[in-house]
Amino acid sequence: MRTIVCVKQVPASNEVRLDEKTNTIIRDGGEAVINPFDSHALEAALALKEQFGGTVAVLSMGIPAAADMLRQCVARGADEALLLTDRAFAGADTLATSYALSKGIESLGDFDLLLCGKMAVDGDTAQIGPELATRLGLPHVSDVFSLECDGAAVTVQRTLGGCVQTLRLPLPAVLTVTRELNVPRLPSIAGVLRAEEAEISCRSAAQVGADETQCGLKGSPTQVVATFLPQRTRTVQEVTDTATLPAIIHHIIKGGA
Amino acid sequence: MEHQIIPYCDLYAAYLRDESRTVGTADSISFPRSEEEVRQILRMLHETGTSVTVQGGRTGLAAAAVPRGGHIMATGGMDHVLGLRQENGRFFLTVQPGVVLLNLRKMIAKKEFPTAGWSSESLTALEAFRTASAHFFPTDPTETTAAIGGMAACNASGARSFRYGPMRPHITALRCVLADGRTVALKRGQHFADGLSFSLPTLEGGAVEGTLPDYTMPRTKNASGYYAAPDMDLIDLFIGSDGTLGVLTELELELLPLPRICWGVTVFLPDEEAACRYAEAVRAQVDCAAAIEYFNSGALDILRQRKAQGGVFATLPDLTMAGDGAAVFTELHCHTREQAMSAVKTLGTLAVQCGGAAEKSWVARTETESETLRHFRHAVPESVNSLIDERKRVYPGITKMGSDMSVPNGRLLEVTEMYRRTLGEEGFQYASWGHIGDNHIHVNILPRDMDEHTRAKQLFLRWAGTVTEMGGAVSAEHGVGKLKAPFLTIMYGQAHIRQMRQLKRLFDPKMQLGRGNLFAVEDEA
Repeated sequence: MRTIVCVKQVPASNEVRLDEKTNTIIRDGGEAVINPFDSHALEAALALKEQFGGTVAVLSMGIPAAADMLRQCVARGADEALLLTDRAFAGADTLATSYALSKGIESLGDFDLLLCGKMAVDGDTAQIGPELATRLGLPHVSDVFSLECDGAAVTVQRTLGGCVQTLRLPLPAVLTVTRELNVPRLPSIAGVLRAEEAEISCRSAAQVGADETQCGLKGSPTQVVATFLPQRTRTVQEVTDTATLPAIIHHIIKGGA
Repeated sequence: MEHQIIPYCDLYAAYLRDESRTVGTADSISFPRSEEEVRQILRMLHETGTSVTVQGGRTGLAAAAVPRGGHIMATGGMDHVLGLRQENGRFFLTVQPGVVLLNLRKMIAKKEFPTAGWSSESLTALEAFRTASAHFFPTDPTETTAAIGGMAACNASGARSFRYGPMRPHITALRCVLADGRTVALKRGQHFADGLSFSLPTLEGGAVEGTLPDYTMPRTKNASGYYAAPDMDLIDLFIGSDGTLGVLTELELELLPLPRICWGVTVFLPDEEAACRYAEAVRAQVDCAAAIEYFNSGALDILRQRKAQGGVFATLPDLTMAGDGAAVFTELHCHTREQAMSAVKTLGTLAVQCGGAAEKSWVARTETESETLRHFRHAVPESVNSLIDERKRVYPGITKMGSDMSVPNGRLLEVTEMYRRTLGEEGFQYASWGHIGDNHIHVNILPRDMDEHTRAKQLFLRWAGTVTEMGGAVSAEHGVGKLKAPFLTIMYGQAHIRQMRQLKRLFDPKMQLGRGNLFAVEDEA
C-alpha cells in the first residue's frame, strides 16, 4: 500500500505578519509547525502502513525551511519526503497550489491513497483536497473522521449536518481528514535519528514539469485585495442611577453607543 | 479594623480543605490585601492567643492549609506584583504571596506585568527585561494554581527541580510578619547564624535570638521540618517552615534565562529495576537533563483504562508499546540543537543497555508534541484522584495515600525493591510515579476498603523508618503539614522535635501559627 500525504507548514501562532503589497502571509521567519489536521492524515497513513505494509510519502510546497517539517514527518515514520520549492510557487492561491502539488504527486509515481488534512489552519479554505481529486480524476471524500481499509477499497465516515454518512470508495482515492480520526503518534528516538540522516528531495517547478504560468501568483485567479486585522472596540458605560438602566440597555441593543 | 476578622460561616466552607482532601474547622476568617492588614489582624489575634492557619492556593497535599479551629488567614487577595529589579544582567521579581503560579508564568512569558505603583527603578528594569532574552521561573509543581506564598512555605518542587532545585534557591529576599505583629525582612546573604546561634533583627526594633536545632539534614531532596545548619543564611529558616514561624508577605524571586531548546524524551523499559538503572545512567551521563520522571506499570495501566473510557483522556497517546513495563521521561534543556540531538542519541543507547529499544520511545520537540507529553504526565495523578473519589463514594473515609519520600543517590534500587516487596506482602493495588532522578518516587496506594486504608497508613510509617535509616527524607517536596507530622518524629526523633518546638516558640511564643503543622498532636503539650 502506498500512501501520499500532503502537509503544509503553518505559523505556530496567530500573530502573523502580512506582506503589504500582496496581502499574503509572510512565511519566512517566525516559528512554523505542521498544520495540525495534516498530522492526523500522516497518522492515518502510518497506521495503514502498519496494517498492510508498503510506504508513506509526504509532500509539501513551501519555502526551503519547510524541509524541517518534512524531516519531522520522516521521524514519525514516513519513508519518503518531497518539497516543492521555487520562487515560481510563491503567492499561490489554492488553484495554483493544487496544480503544483498534482505535479509533485505525478513525480512520486503510482499510489493507492492520497490523504490531506481537512484544511490548513492559516488559510482555512479546505479546498486543496477536493481540487487535487478533480485534477487527478479520482473519487474523494472530505472531513473523514473514521477510516477502514481492506486493501482494495476504503470505508469512511463523515458528519453531514446532524447525520453521519458512510461511504465506500475504490482505491486509489483522495480523503481529507479531521482531528477525530486518530491521535497522532510521537516520533521515537530511532525515528528522530533516522530522520537526521534522511534525504529530503527538493524540486523546482521545472524539475516536476510544472508550467510556470499556472504556478504562484501568475497562476492564481484569486487576488487578495486587502487583508487586515479587525479592529475591536470596547466601551464601558458606568450606570449609577439604576432607574435609567432599562432605557440605556434598550438604546445599546438598538445600536446606540 | 475589626471588620477584617469575619466570623466563620458555611459560605467559606471551601477554606476548610485543600488538595489533601482533608477537612478542618474554623471560627473566623480574614482576607488581608496588604502587609499592614496582615500585621493588624495578627496583633488582634495575638492578644487572645487565637490559632492562625495561613492559606495560599490550598493546593497542598499535606494539609498544612487545613485549619484546626481558630482563624483562617487567606492570602489569595495579596496577589500584586510589586516590582522588578535588575542586577548584573539578572532579573528579580518581587511578588505578594497570593500570586498564582499560572499567572506568574504568563506574565513572565509575555513580559507584561500590572505596573501600577511600581517605582521608576522597577519600570527601568522592565524596559531592560523586555529587550532581554526570554526568561522563566523554574519551579514547576503539577498544580499550577498554587500560590507563590504556599510554594515557599512548603519549599515546593516539581519535575524540573532535578536541575534547578526546589523553591529555596530561587527566593532571594522575603518579608514575614510574626505572630505578635513584628516584621522581619531578609535578603539572601545578609543575615547568617553564628554556628547554631542566631540573632535576627525585627523592623520594629529588637531581635529574635536563639539557637537552631542541631540535627543533620538528609543529603537528599528534602522538605521535612525546619532548614537548620551551622552558619546558615537565616532566610532559609522561613522557606519550608509550613506556615509555623510567620506570615510571608513579600517574596523576591530570581527569574532564569529560558533555555533555547526544551525537548522531552520518554522511553519504555521492561520493569521498575530497568527504569531505575536507566534513570541512574541518565543522571550520570546526560548533562542537559532538567527532569527525570518515572511511571510504573500500575500508573500506565490506569492511563490505559482512562483512555479507553474516553473523554479528555481519549487524546492520550497510544500506550501499546509500553506493554506491562514502565516509562521514564527526561526533559532536556539545551543551548544548541546539536547538544540536544547528542543527548537524544545517548538516551537511545542507554535505553537499549537497560533492556529497552530506541523504537519504544517518544520524542517531543515541538510545542504540540510537548503538550502531548504534559497531558500524559498530568493525567496520571488526575486519574488516580478520580479513582480515589470513586472509591470514596463507597467508603467515605478513604483518602489519597501518596508517599513523598526521597533517598540519597545509590539507594534507589534498594528503596524501590523495599516498596515492591512490602506492597506485595500487603496485596495492595498501587501506582507509582515521580521524580526518579532525585530518587524520589511517589507511591500511591489505592485502598479498596477501610481495612486497606488503615494498613496503608501503617505501611507508610514503617517506610518512614526505613527511609530514615537510608539517610533519606520523609517529605521531599509536599512539606510535612499535618498529615506527615508523625513521619517527622520518626525521622528526627523526639529530642530534635523538641528543639524545633523551642525554635518555633522564639518566633511564635503562644504557638498560634499553623497549629498541627510539623508537630504531631501527641507532642503538642
